[in-house]
Amino acid sequence: MGFFEQIAAILQQYTPFFLDGIKNTLIIAALSVVLGAVFGTLMAIMRMCKIKPLRWLATAYIEFVRGTPLMVQLMFIFYGLPMVGIQFPDISWIPNFSRFMAGIVAMSINSCAYVAEVIRSGIQAVDEGQMEAARSIGFKYGESMKLVILPQAIRNILPALGNEFVTVIKESSIVSVIGISDLMYSTNGVIAITYRSLPCLAIAACLYFILTFTGSRLIAVLEKRMKHGRQ
Amino acid sequence: MEGNNIIEVRNLCKSFGSLEVLNDINTDFKEKEVVSIIGPSGGGKSTFLRCLNLLETPTSGQIIFNGVDLCSKKIDINVHRQKIGMVFQHFNLFNNMNVMKNLTIAPMKINGKSREEAEEKALGFLKRMGLEDKVNAYPAQLSGGQKQRIAIVRSLMMEPEVMLFDEPTSALDPEMIGEVLDVIKQLAYDGMTMLIVTHEMRFAREVSDRILFLDGGKIDEDRSADEFFDDPKSPRLISFLKKVL
Repeated sequence: MGFFEQIAAILQQYTPFFLDGIKNTLIIAALSVVLGAVFGTLMAIMRMCKIKPLRWLATAYIEFVRGTPLMVQLMFIFYGLPMVGIQFPDISWIPNFSRFMAGIVAMSINSCAYVAEVIRSGIQAVDEGQMEAARSIGFKYGESMKLVILPQAIRNILPALGNEFVTVIKESSIVSVIGISDLMYSTNGVIAITYRSLPCLAIAACLYFILTFTGSRLIAVLEKRMKHGRQ
Repeated sequence: MEGNNIIEVRNLCKSFGSLEVLNDINTDFKEKEVVSIIGPSGGGKSTFLRCLNLLETPTSGQIIFNGVDLCSKKIDINVHRQKIGMVFQHFNLFNNMNVMKNLTIAPMKINGKSREEAEEKALGFLKRMGLEDKVNAYPAQLSGGQKQRIAIVRSLMMEPEVMLFDEPTSALDPEMIGEVLDVIKQLAYDGMTMLIVTHEMRFAREVSDRILFLDGGKIDEDRSADEFFDDPKSPRLISFLKKVL
C-alpha cells in the first residue's frame, strides 16, 4: 500500500477518533483563550497600575510564566496541585473532568501571561497625546480610557489576540502527555492500533493546519473589517 | 492692560529627576490678555504651559486659576481643566471619532449638553472655518492645518476662559501655518485670553499684548510685544533674537 492509500484507509476507519480529538482540542483552546483573556486583562491592568506591589507581582508572574516551559507548568499543575490538596472534582457528564481541568488551568495560566503583554502593548501603543488631549479637556482618567484609549487599543489588541488563539491550538497538543484526549492523544491512539505512525502524524498535521489556517484567515477578515469601520 | 488676573503663577518649580526645568517662575495673566512665550528649545516653554493645567505636576509652587490653587490636593482638577482649553503641537484629535464626535463628545459627556445643541454649535464653528464638509471625516483624512483648526474648535466647544497653545504650528507644512494663525488671531480679536508658545516671531509680535522670554527655566524678559523686539534688555534675548530674526 502506498502512503496516501494508507492515509485513506486510516481515515476510513478512524475518522471518529480524530474528530473527537479535534473537538477536545478546540474546547481546551477556546476555554484557555477566554480564561486567559479575562485574567490577562486583569494582569495587564495590574502591570500598569500605580500601586507598586501589584505592579511587581504582575511583572514577576508574566516574566516567570513566559520564561518557563509550558510542559513544566502543565506537570506542575497536574501533579503538584493534588499534592497540596487542591483537587478538581470529577463531574459525571464530562469524562475525565479533573484531567481536563488541569490542562485548561495550565494552558490558561500560560496564555494569561501572553495575553497580558498583548493588551499592555496594545494600550501603550496608543499615542500619549490622545490621553493628554482627553485629560486636558476635562475627562477623568477612567472616562479617557473608556472613550478614547481603549477603542483605539482594541484595534491593536484583537488581531494579536487572534494569533494567541492560533498559538494555543498548536501548543495545546502538549496536554496529551497528561492523558487528555485531544487531537494529539487520539493520533497516538490510532498509531498504537495501526502501527502506522507517519500516515497518522501526517493526518494530525493536516488537521492542526486546517484549524490554525482557518483561524488566522478569520482573524484577517476581522482585521480588514475593523479598518473599514474606521475610515 | 486692565482686568482681573485669571491665572497667577507663584514660585513655580518643576524638575524631572535631577533636571531642573522651571526655576521659581512668577507671573500673572490678565483676562483678555494675549501672551506669547518665546525661547530656545529646552528652555521650559512647553513644560511651563503644561504645568498651568497640571498635565505636568509642578514640583513646588502655586498655579492660581480664578482664585483657586490648582496644585491643592482638595480640588477636582477635571472641573477646572474644562475651562482651560489646550491646543497641542500634534493636534491630538481623537483618532477613533469623526470630526463631529470629536467636537461634541466633551460637551455632551461632561456638560450634559443635548446632542442637538452640541451639534448645532459644532456646525456653527465648522461653517465659520469653512470646514462643514468635514463633519463626517476621521482625523486621518484631514490635512494638518484642518486637524489643528478642528482641535482649536474642540477646545472652544467647552467655552474655556483661557486657551493654551503649545507650538500650534510647529508640526505643520509651511503653506498651512497661515490658516491656523488666522484662526488664533481671530480669537485674539474676539477677546479670548490666550497663552501661546510659538516660534512664529512675526505672528507673536502682531497678536500679543505681552511676550515672555523663557530661558534656562526662568523668565528672562517680560515686555510688551513691541518693546520685546525693538528694545530687548537681556543679553540672552538679544543674542536669541539675532539668531531667529
